[in-house]
Amino acid sequence: MPTKLSRRDFVRLCAGSAAAISMTGFLAPYMSEAVAAGAPPVIWIQGASCTGCSISLLNTVHPDIKKVLTEVISLRYHPNIMAAAGDLAMQEMFKVAEENKGNFFLVVEGAVPTGADGLYCTVGEEDGHHITFEKLVTTIGKKSKAILSFGTCSAFGGIPATPPNPTNCKAVDQVVKDVPVINVPGCPPHPDWMVGTIAHVLLYGIPEMDTFGRPKMFFSNIIHDNCERRQYFDNGIFAKTFGEPGCMLELGCKGPIAHCDASTRLFNGGVNWCVKSGGVCIGCTEPQFPAWPMYERMAEMPVGPATTVTVDQVGIVLGGLAVAGIGGHLVGNIATGRIGSKKEDVEKEGDS
Amino acid sequence: MVKQMEERHSVWIRFCHWVNMISITLLILTGYYIHAPHTFRLFSNMDTPRTLHFAMAYLLCFGVLIRVYYAIVAKDTKNIVFSVKEDTPKFPSMIKYYLFMADSHPYYGKYNPGQKMMYTGWLVMVLIQIITGFILYKPNMFMALGGFLGGYMAVRLIHYIVTWLFVLSVLAHVYLDISEGVPVLKSMFTGKIPADFDHGTHEEEIETDTGVGA
Ligand code: SF4
Ligand code: SF4
Repeated sequence: MPTKLSRRDFVRLCAGSAAAISMTGFLAPYMSEAVAAGAPPVIWIQGASCTGCSISLLNTVHPDIKKVLTEVISLRYHPNIMAAAGDLAMQEMFKVAEENKGNFFLVVEGAVPTGADGLYCTVGEEDGHHITFEKLVTTIGKKSKAILSFGTCSAFGGIPATPPNPTNCKAVDQVVKDVPVINVPGCPPHPDWMVGTIAHVLLYGIPEMDTFGRPKMFFSNIIHDNCERRQYFDNGIFAKTFGEPGCMLELGCKGPIAHCDASTRLFNGGVNWCVKSGGVCIGCTEPQFPAWPMYERMAEMPVGPATTVTVDQVGIVLGGLAVAGIGGHLVGNIATGRIGSKKEDVEKEGDS
Repeated sequence: MVKQMEERHSVWIRFCHWVNMISITLLILTGYYIHAPHTFRLFSNMDTPRTLHFAMAYLLCFGVLIRVYYAIVAKDTKNIVFSVKEDTPKFPSMIKYYLFMADSHPYYGKYNPGQKMMYTGWLVMVLIQIITGFILYKPNMFMALGGFLGGYMAVRLIHYIVTWLFVLSVLAHVYLDISEGVPVLKSMFTGKIPADFDHGTHEEEIETDTGVGA
């Protein structure tokens, strides 16, 4: 079994791993070694989420997820896949957090509802009282070494935080302030992004991150720059309907503004990704997701209550007004003799 | 008879004017293709307009830089920068003139307050376009700025709206300057304008004028 993998090699592996190599499979031995040597445990909690991120994690195919969960990561609490339930599980979570204070990693899936004192999302009981997710994230989060926000909801607010946001959902780093937070967005994130980030924090500590707290090893490229339909874009061939060959830009592809490596990593064990499957990139890793129309090129502008218009409509109306104004002024100019033959007559008279 | 001419635009002003005119026109045309390649079929591929768009973006930066530097060094700022305190009171007479409610307008200086407002506005708009443009061009380099402005989608929208403002204001600019008289248009090429060109009536003249008219 290999014993040393330098951080540089690790990052290169994460960033460059093509679909053909299973990143998780390659990392597994190193991680299990670290875990065997007493690497920090991981607690996984869920708030305002759809569990999609966990499902995506379960898609880790090689080695199979069972091995990952039992040998590769020392996962001590996960609402969906742990065998324990109820008070037993809650007590265990609190115990792990207390015993490993400052030395465990907290994975948060889902946004944090803060409306009504967080009552929109309760996740268990402590001494017979509801614990809101907000309270759980703050109390446990403060004890952790770092928080890993998995999925756009916990990283940036995502779908639950989209206006009008009645439950006042927030991103984790807006709720817990004094602990390092690593954002691994995606709706859902690729399993490699999650396992890779966990591996990095276990083996080397906090990874290098961009402005929005995303690990650079996965999120430093724009999808549009590595898209297999890019040649269509460059040649000006654009699909008008789904199923046509061509770049998906006109159908609303957000590739030019989305940071992610799905086009080289491929989802579902290296089978497919968003654009290859004939869809568009919806920009699911960006902080503003999903505040834009997924199948339109550009968002419309709000102009009044429940009324929006496209910029082109505004432009055309203003353009029409401008042309009308110019036309009117031109007519006026000619009628009053400011331009045309009359002006010269007047000037000549004046001169003489 | 040779008309007596006086200097109106220095060679630097003319140079910047036409450089910026070329870059802005090409930026608008290529930009619109990049925005709507299906509806606006001016190019046959994406490569040419994008290369042109980025090249012209640099040219515009350069043209604007020279123009701003010139304006400061040659004290041209007083001609083109709109001053709220001094220029706002001049608006009523200008609007009256444009709406044909008055036959002449007072002498405003090189440009009337409307023109000054437009030119100052262009500087602001150009800066907005340069900033939003670079955010979209180099999304990794200016990630924080893009996030501050509300994300790339908002930046796209701003870039696009300001483009429309450019289209409309350039339309108005071209019309108003041509309608002021061909000599004004010519002066942007030659730099000179006939000495007797009507730039507006000086204060004293207005009084006598109205006296005669009434
Ligand atoms: S399909 Fe999307 S990501 Fe791919 S080239 Fe077109 S716009 Fe870019
Ligand atoms: S390609 Fe776009 S939609 Fe697909 S995972 Fe990446 S950011 Fe999300």
